[in-house]
Order: sequence, then C-alpha cells, then structure tokens
Amino acid sequence: MSLEEKTADRTSSPRASGVPSAVSTMLIYLRSMGIFALIWYAGAWWIGNPVLLPSPVAVVQSLFSLIASGEVASNAASSLQRLAMGFAGAALIGIPLGLLMGMSRILYALVDPLIELLRPISGIAWIPLGMFILGVGETLPTAIMFYGAFFPIVINTLIGVRSVDERLIQAAKVLGVGRSSIILNVVLPASLPNILVGLRLGAGAAWTAMVAAELIGAPSGLGFAVEWYRELLMTPSVLAFVFLIGLFGYLFDKLLRALQTAITPWANISREVI
Amino acid sequence: METVAIPTKAKISLIAITKQYITPRTGQTTLAVSDVSLNIQQGEFLCIVGPSGCGKSTILSMIAGLTKPSSGTISMDGNAIHGPGRERGVVFQDYALFPWKTVRENIEFGPRFRDRAPLSTAARRELVDHYIELVSLNGSEDKYPHELSGGMRQRCAFARALANEPDVLLMDEPFAALDAQTRLILQEELLRIWGEELPRDKRKTVVFITHGIDEAVFLADRVAVMSNHPGQIKMEKPIGLPRPRNEGVRLTTDFQKLVDEIWQLIRHDAYEATIGKAGIKQA
Amino acid sequence: MALSRRFLPFVLPLALLILWQAGVSTLQPGPRTPTPGSVVSTAWSLISTGQLPLAMILSLGRVLTGFVSAAVCAILIGFLMAVSPSIGRNLDPLMESFRPIAPIALLPLAILWFGTGTSAAAFIVGYAAFFPILINTIQGVRSIDPSLPRAARTLGVGLPAIIRNVILPGALPNIFVGARLGLGLAWSSIIAAELAVGAKTGDAGSGGIGQMMFVFYAYSVDLSGIIVCMIAVGVVALVIDRGLRAVEKRLLPWKQ
Repeated sequence: MSLEEKTADRTSSPRASGVPSAVSTMLIYLRSMGIFALIWYAGAWWIGNPVLLPSPVAVVQSLFSLIASGEVASNAASSLQRLAMGFAGAALIGIPLGLLMGMSRILYALVDPLIELLRPISGIAWIPLGMFILGVGETLPTAIMFYGAFFPIVINTLIGVRSVDERLIQAAKVLGVGRSSIILNVVLPASLPNILVGLRLGAGAAWTAMVAAELIGAPSGLGFAVEWYRELLMTPSVLAFVFLIGLFGYLFDKLLRALQTAITPWANISREVI
Repeated sequence: METVAIPTKAKISLIAITKQYITPRTGQTTLAVSDVSLNIQQGEFLCIVGPSGCGKSTILSMIAGLTKPSSGTISMDGNAIHGPGRERGVVFQDYALFPWKTVRENIEFGPRFRDRAPLSTAARRELVDHYIELVSLNGSEDKYPHELSGGMRQRCAFARALANEPDVLLMDEPFAALDAQTRLILQEELLRIWGEELPRDKRKTVVFITHGIDEAVFLADRVAVMSNHPGQIKMEKPIGLPRPRNEGVRLTTDFQKLVDEIWQLIRHDAYEATIGKAGIKQA
Repeated sequence: MALSRRFLPFVLPLALLILWQAGVSTLQPGPRTPTPGSVVSTAWSLISTGQLPLAMILSLGRVLTGFVSAAVCAILIGFLMAVSPSIGRNLDPLMESFRPIAPIALLPLAILWFGTGTSAAAFIVGYAAFFPILINTIQGVRSIDPSLPRAARTLGVGLPAIIRNVILPGALPNIFVGARLGLGLAWSSIIAAELAVGAKTGDAGSGGIGQMMFVFYAYSVDLSGIIVCMIAVGVVALVIDRGLRAVEKRLLPWKQ
C-alpha cells in the first residue's frame, strides 16, 4: 500500500509521487478532465434532455457564441467592476482599521464588539434589507461584496499585528530604532503575510457574495446572466456562465497567491481565519 | 572493511549492506551506507558512533525494517529481515509518541493493537503497570505527551518499546534532545533497566545510535565507529569496562583513554561535517 | 480607568441603537420604518406564534441533510486522496476545477434538476460544505508526523489498526476545522438558496428562514421582520461556530 511506502521510505523513495514534472502534471490534468468530459457526454446522451443536461459540446458552442456576441464581456465587466470597488473599499478601510485595532487597546475594546456582532450575519442575509435601502442595481452587489470582504481583512490584519514576535520589537528598540520606524519596518512587514491571507479570503468571500447578490438583486453581471438563461431554459448558456464564474474565482485566487509568494516569500502561514 | 565470517550465534547480522538515495530534484545518487558488515551478539549492547550524516540512523532504520538496503542482507536469528516486527522495538529520536494517547495508552499501544498475539485487557493492564513502574512514570499515566517534560517523554517512549517485549531494542539517539543532566541520569537508568547484572542470554540485545562518544563508551559492550562519505565502519572497539557501571567509571583513565582513542579516529570526519572542507586545513 | 475600560465594549453598539431610534423619531420617514422597539415587538410575536422557530427548524433540517451527506463524501474521498498518491493526483484536477465555483452559482441548475423544494437547497448546502471538509481532511492526513505510523509498524501493528489509531486521530483536528468552516458556509448558502427560490418562484415556498425573509420583503413589506430574521441568522451562525468549537475541545483533549 502506498501509505506504507511513503511513510516507510520517505527519504529514499524519490517522492516519485510527490514531485512530478510540469509536463506529467499537465497530462494528468488533461486525462482526468477528459474522462470527466466523456462521462458527462455519455450522461447527456443517456438523459437525452438538453434542458436538464446538455452535452459538453453544446456548452462549449454556446460559450463561444456568448463570447462572440459580447455578452460575456459586458456581464463580466460589470461583475468585475463591482468586485474591484467592493474589494478595494474593504481593503482600504479594513487594513488600517485592523492595524490600529492591533496597536490600540482602547480602539480594540471599542470596535471589536461591533465586529463580533455583525460578523455572524452573512452578507447574503443583508440582501433583502439592502434591496429596500439601495434598490435593485449597481450599489447593492457592491455593498454586499464590501461587507463580505471586510471581515476577513480586518480580522487577519489584527491577527497579523497581534502575532508580531515581541522580541523583534525589543530587538529593534535595543538597536535604537524609533517608534514610527518600528511600525513601518517591523510591525507592517511582520503582519504582511496575514494581511495578504485576509485579502485572499476576502476576495473569495466577496466573489461568492457577488453571485448571490446578482442572482437576486441586479440587472447585469455573471450571476444575473446565470439566472436569466435559466428562466429561458437555455441550460448550455447557464453552464457556460457557471464555468466563467468558476474561472474568474480561480484566477483571482491564483493571482493573490502569486502576490503572496512574491511579496512575502519568507512567510509560512499555518493559520488562516475566515 | 572486509566481510567477517558470521558466527552462527550472531543475533543480528548485516552482510555487505549498501544504501543509496536518489535526490528527487537533481536526480543525483548519494551513497549513504557503503558495504557495511556487522554482527551483533545476543545480549550485547552495541553503540554506533559517527559524525552527523554518516548513515548511522539509516543502518538502524534498516535493522528495524523501515528502510530496505539497496544491496546486502540483514538477518535476525538467521532469518532475513523484510519489514518491521515486534521482535525489534525502536525508540525514536523525537520519541514519536502518539499525541492523542495518554502515557498509559501509548505504552499499551503495541500489546493492544499488534497483529500477532495481542493481549487481553487484564493482562495488558498488569504489563503496562509494570513498565510504568519501571520507568518511574507513576502518577503521570493519564497525562498526554504534551504535558510531559522531555525526560518523561523519553521514558514513556522507552516503556512503549519495552512493553511490546521485543528481543532487540533499537535506539536512535534517544537522549539527543535532552539537557545534559537529564541525559546523564537516563544513561544510568537505561543500564539499570537493561539489566547489567543479568547473564547475557537474559539481557536484551541493544543497538544504540549516538554521536556522543562518552555516552557510547559509558553504555556499550562494543562501539562501532563510522566515518563519512561514504558511511562505513572504520573500527569496532570492545569496551572492557567492568559492569555494573556508575558515574565513577567516567573518572577512570581507562574511560578517558577509550574516549580519546575514538575521538582521534573520527576527528577529521567530524570537522568536515561541521565546518566543511575549508575548515579542516585550519583545524 | 478599569471601570471605563469595562464599559468601552458597549459604547459603539449602544450609540448605534440610540442613533437609529433618534434618526427615526426626528426624520419620521414613514410608518413602516423599523425602530429598535418595533424590531423587539416583531421578534416577540414571531417567536410566540412559533413562526420563527418553525422556519428555523426547517432551514436547519435542510442544512443538516446537505451537510451530513457532504461530510461523509468529503471525508471518505479526502482520506483516499491523501493516503493514495495515485488517487490524489487523478482526482485533484477535478476537485480544483470545481472548487472555485461559488455554490450559489449552481442554484439555477439545482432548481432545474431538483425543483424548488428541499432537495435543491440541500444540494447547494452540500456543495458549499464539501470543499472545506475535503481540503482539510487531505491536509490533516498529510500533516501527520511520518514517524508516528513508522513507530506503530515497529510495534507490529497492521495497517487497519494504524488507520484507526494513528491516521484518523491525527487527521481529526483538521477534519474538525473543515467541518466548522463547511457548516458555516452551508448556513449562509441556505439563506441564499431559500431567498433565491422564494424570489424566483414567486411564492413563499415551504418555509425556511430565507423564504420568510423573502415574504417580508416581497409581500408584507415588513422591515422589522427582515431585521429579526437577520439577527436570528447571526445567532444561529454564532451558536454553530461556538458549539462546534466546544465539541472540538471535548473530543480532542490532547490539543493544548
């Protein structure tokens, strides 16, 4: 059994399984996805109802025609614009707030209860009230996304500041470094890994919240398009937009992970808090 | 070193053992152990010393059956070793105690879950009580490993290996992570539990890996000295110091002489392992 | 000083409540505008008539159905993927491809496949809970110190006993983390699912806290009711989180 081998001979078996080359990873990826597509194709043929389960070919075709008609571009643009605004807003407020809360006990005691009261109420639960206050349109999804991204960013920034090794600060003090310089050169870099984790989790939460908000209360966007084509019973287009939602979600995560390793190559994060 | 004819009574015998590793990223092969032959007698306390990275832990792991040699054979009581088994107990360097089991549950792990001849609850209880008593862990039976001191963890790991009643005890730098005082105390404890005053055929056979020369000389009947690049046995040194041994032995000139003799033998390798080739010339 | 410190946590929530009440009474925007008072009285009537508890039980039932089936699948698959490198390698592309798809995005499909009843909601909930549990299970099995199964083997212990006594307890803390995250996500997806089902089918559906919110939004235009529901949603989320943490502490006493 492979577990036996792995544990028994960890150093000597050249991690034959652990470090496959990029090419073989690609081949395995293609093989797995190919088998999945075949099963899907067979299933679609067996069911024989393109409204319930269209074949993968039909989905790819409708994806191309949606791209050609510009529908993908316009819906993706409005979703991405909302994401950019909601996410940037959450980061611009969340990071400084988290830093300040980490450094000031008074501010922490003041703000933390409010955060702990609001945090369990998911962004999605705000949608009905939000529709009353903001109406169906641009503002609601943006606000829901802001709300979704805000908490992971604040909390992880706070954890970052809190987890700065006290000895690092002492070491800087002993070297005669001043307070503002310590904040800039010790506290901020030391909490940067957690801040980036917060940003990544925040982006993920915002993206999920966006789909829900657009599905219910927006006249455009990827979430809206999914629902629109379901009502028209055009399932291939529904699946095409579902695919796009997954693709964009994946790309954001990849981008932010790349940013994480590029900016904080020394970091080894073991704790992530949502 | 030359292959020695195996006396039939050898408890464990290694014949022309070689072990090479392949580094996954570069694909390079490293020769960790090269042509090692060694016989260990029933009831013998054998220490293997050598600089870091000389392959001494690899040898222990191969005797335990956790690693397969690239070539050569290892046998116990004349039977080739193919995998781990309860007749060869291991005390790991980092203790490898199960964090989710209490001291008692760790010690009864082997007798309870082993494939061959597991013990009934009552028999297990008696056995485990005995070993808890033996390593003086009474009062800490229901603690979890993280609640124990380093020395207590070590004793727990030792008791876990003993409670499975193996013929051979394999110990991989068991005292390396302890502070100096605790180490000295546990060395004497180890000899007591091993049963220094028992006749040879009643004692357990012990293979003990260490990089502490004085530790090896204090404990062993025989010391096998290893060298680096590739890992080979440079010398086997019988230790004739009288048993039972106690602190006083360390002060004798015989003891000092043996330590110095072994140190001179591995000095060069130890320097190389520590400060690299450039450092040797200066040393 | 110490006394004023103790009051600090209450300052902001109280200030907001007072601001809310004062804003409504000075601006007087309309009779439907909720006030702290109207929220409390609505909450009382919703609880005493049994409407709110009933809706909550319905939603929780759906969450539990989806969550339990997702947990069973995720732990099983995660275990296989972590223990066998070949299974892990081959399933990994599939899992990584589906993971980024937001569960709510599948809601239209779930409605197509399962209609607007409990099974569509349970499907979404299960999907939401699956990936956190899967990933943490894999992580948990992989994070086990390799010397532990080695130690068990030198004691003559066989594979089934090693899996039961070494691998499973070793992975349990991570499985718990995954379950906690998964259940939290499941709870927020059920709200979205029920809301959307209510919104799209145009009726109150068959209960559930999300549908209750939709009814307050679309038919009775009861903002106080919506706020009561939001608070209820938050309370349940908090209870789920703290409850699972407590269970975790009880079941994993070896963790400091």
